[in-house]
Amino acid sequence: MTGNAPALRVEGLTKSFGHVHALRGLDLVVPRGQVTGFLGPNGAGKSTTIRVLLGLLRADGGTVRVLDQDPWSDAVALHRRIAYVPGDVTLWPNLTGGEAIDILCRLSGPLDPARKAAMLDRFELDPTKKARTYSKGNRQKVALVAALASRAELLLLDEPTSGLDPIMEAAFTQSIAEVKAEGRSVLLSSHIFAEVEKLADRVAIIRDGVTVEQGSLAELRHLTRTSVTVALDGGPDGLAALPGVHDLAVHDDGQHVTFAVDTGSLPAVLAELATLHPRSLVANPPSLEELFLQHYNAAGADAPAPTGSAPSGPAASDQAPSAATRAGRAATR
Amino acid sequence: MTVQEISRHTTPAGRPQHTAPHETLAGLGAMSRLFWRRNRVRLVVWAVFVIAMVGYVISYYQSIFTTQASLDDFARVSDTPGIKALTGLAANPATMGGAVWTKIWMFVAVALAIGVVFLVTRNGRADEETGRTELLRSRVLGLHAGSVATWSWVAGLCVVAGLGTALVSAAMGLDPAGTGITGSLLFGLSVTGAGLFGLGVGAVAGQVTSTSRGANTLGSVVVVGFYVLRMVGDLGNGALTWASPIGWAQQVEPWGADRWWPLALLVALTAALLAVAGLIEARRDHGAGLLPERLGNPGAPRRWASPLGLALRLQRGPIAGWTVAVVLTAGLFGSVVESMTDLLDDAAASATDLIGGTGVDALLAMLTGLIALVVAVFAVQSAVSLRGDEATAILEPQLAGAVGRVRWAAQRLVIPVVGSAVLLAVGGAIFGASYGSTVSDPSQAARLAGAALAYWPAIMVLTGVAVLLFGYLPRLAVALSWGVIAAVWFLMFVGDALGLPQSLLDVLPWSATPYVPLEPLTWTPLIVMTVVAAAFVALGLRRFRARDLQPA
Repeated sequence: MTGNAPALRVEGLTKSFGHVHALRGLDLVVPRGQVTGFLGPNGAGKSTTIRVLLGLLRADGGTVRVLDQDPWSDAVALHRRIAYVPGDVTLWPNLTGGEAIDILCRLSGPLDPARKAAMLDRFELDPTKKARTYSKGNRQKVALVAALASRAELLLLDEPTSGLDPIMEAAFTQSIAEVKAEGRSVLLSSHIFAEVEKLADRVAIIRDGVTVEQGSLAELRHLTRTSVTVALDGGPDGLAALPGVHDLAVHDDGQHVTFAVDTGSLPAVLAELATLHPRSLVANPPSLEELFLQHYNAAGADAPAPTGSAPSGPAASDQAPSAATRAGRAATR
Repeated sequence: MTVQEISRHTTPAGRPQHTAPHETLAGLGAMSRLFWRRNRVRLVVWAVFVIAMVGYVISYYQSIFTTQASLDDFARVSDTPGIKALTGLAANPATMGGAVWTKIWMFVAVALAIGVVFLVTRNGRADEETGRTELLRSRVLGLHAGSVATWSWVAGLCVVAGLGTALVSAAMGLDPAGTGITGSLLFGLSVTGAGLFGLGVGAVAGQVTSTSRGANTLGSVVVVGFYVLRMVGDLGNGALTWASPIGWAQQVEPWGADRWWPLALLVALTAALLAVAGLIEARRDHGAGLLPERLGNPGAPRRWASPLGLALRLQRGPIAGWTVAVVLTAGLFGSVVESMTDLLDDAAASATDLIGGTGVDALLAMLTGLIALVVAVFAVQSAVSLRGDEATAILEPQLAGAVGRVRWAAQRLVIPVVGSAVLLAVGGAIFGASYGSTVSDPSQAARLAGAALAYWPAIMVLTGVAVLLFGYLPRLAVALSWGVIAAVWFLMFVGDALGLPQSLLDVLPWSATPYVPLEPLTWTPLIVMTVVAAAFVALGLRRFRARDLQPA
């Protein structure tokens, strides 16, 4: 490991296919020893980015450094230190799963039979079946076993759990936790928010080939709203007028009030709320899913902006996580 | 009787033979429209190709054979073992119809039969393998609707191509005065018959094998096998010609015996083959072939982890298949050469034009060229697998390992480069040994092995073209590479009738190769072709290193 340089750093990456601009200045950082979630709607450019990181596509512009090397010109040397799991695994139909795993492992370096056996066991994969008889989930397992049987410094995972059953997803979560504990780094592209929330230290959200948010989960939560439901005897006097309160609604019973509050305004709002003598209060910090949807919608149209900061701005890494954010984070656990 | 047993006896599922016929054909209309939408260009191209080829040869021959004397010359010149082997000889070659039949019938008949095999696979086994059929079958779609739609359209193509041929032939006046259009009609319908045979073969092949590649290979091998069978029959006493459905179509003999009944035989055979295909389809599981999937090894040997080792494993089936094909073809060719010597002695001295010379050496040279063409198909098939791996995205996990692109491609190319040299040497040696044993001359094995190896540079040029296309036009590479091979075959059959400038023909790899053993071996063209091939490969690989990976 070379100092504190991140395992992966992408700045201003652009890539076009003819007239289609797939990536338009994408930024991405994966710090060493951390798991970075890579989120974005279908067609946002996640797979294109990963294929650039593998040197399968050549970047049109921007800088791309993977383990301090250039993925295009240093591909071979780099690939000894990388493991890759595609979201749609193609295998040689007439080879067995075990044979495919051996071939893929040995293409990157020596095969560790003990690790292979352990992973086959963990993912309950029969290595003697021909690949053409495998289901989608079993093909996915082949790629996962091949990647996890290695000691790669950086794992590039493109929707690695698509098609896996919940038990296997748990096995995957355990495996990634182990990878992280060993100080290795992971880029995890996924649509499963629970999985990313559980595993990721940081999240990058991209849309239309541009990074819209990047930072730790705590930092991102700080940029969004907490939803609050309170039961008030006296009605929501003046609540709606407070700065940072949105979408206030009173239920039919005239007592239950729901509203969303900017996380930054939470202390002031809670103080004001206390003066209204609430009988009960439920506060939900934003889930990653809500966070994602807010960014997704906000970047698309003039939908209610999630925060004061522009959605396309850099991650609010300059803002220290506030007490409220930490509280919100704790509440999710 | 338990409930389960009762339900097993009463539910039609799993017992499709009890299903009412109209149910197994539900959705036939929709499948027919889908077939037309997906294949309309192919159907039109095939029909136009067959009809235009025939029309072109008719007009060309009418322009060069203006007198009966010239037709008599043609008939004399054509009465050689080479022509009999390659295309068969018309019943009355000294007529305009006979001359046209000799030139083009075998080519369009076999081309249509093989083209039909590929069409049937494309719309049958290939869709099933990729899962599209499964999606369709989840809707209200009868078990046989897809197959019957395919078969109907393809049979329609054969009929249209045949009737079009008949129409062109009749309109251009191939029928002698006073005979009506019987000859033209039989000419066209015998093409239809050969195509229908291909339909039956393709349908069964698609049911027996579980992959589209397997179906195409099996179907083509069966058609080509029967072509070779009739070749041996035509060169011998004719008995084996009758053992081949291609031979039946040949025996229709338009403007000769004018037989109708071999057509009935072909239709009956096709119906029988389609019935067999339908029966298998009704009994087998979706996605399965006739052989069940077996378990394999839980691990791979170390050598498979190199691109070459892996390619040798993955291509071992094709390599074995091509070796068998070359060995059988060469042995067969060698065994019939001697029996033609008498015929050759009788042949006119003016036979030079058509097989490029007289005597045994001319025949040996032509058959050597044919063996080399078979090897060329192997080499190109192996070379286009570079693009095949890229298109199916199986290349990405390989390159995600510590393997450089050029190293990957270069190792893969060892198979066509070395493999074709080995196949040429083996094919030539067996051809020579087989021929030598009939004339008690063991030295023929080494002599013809050397003659066959003279085609190695030409095959390398074709391989180089495939690599060049892979580098620069990846999405078109497979189609264009096969197009080049098809063009070489095409020129071999009908090149002289196209009236192309000789300077163009001379630079094509096959004609640039010395016509050994008839002509002496000259090194210059061989060296030039080797250099050209190496340059093509280098350019193609350089481009591949610099471009994006482009999955299909």
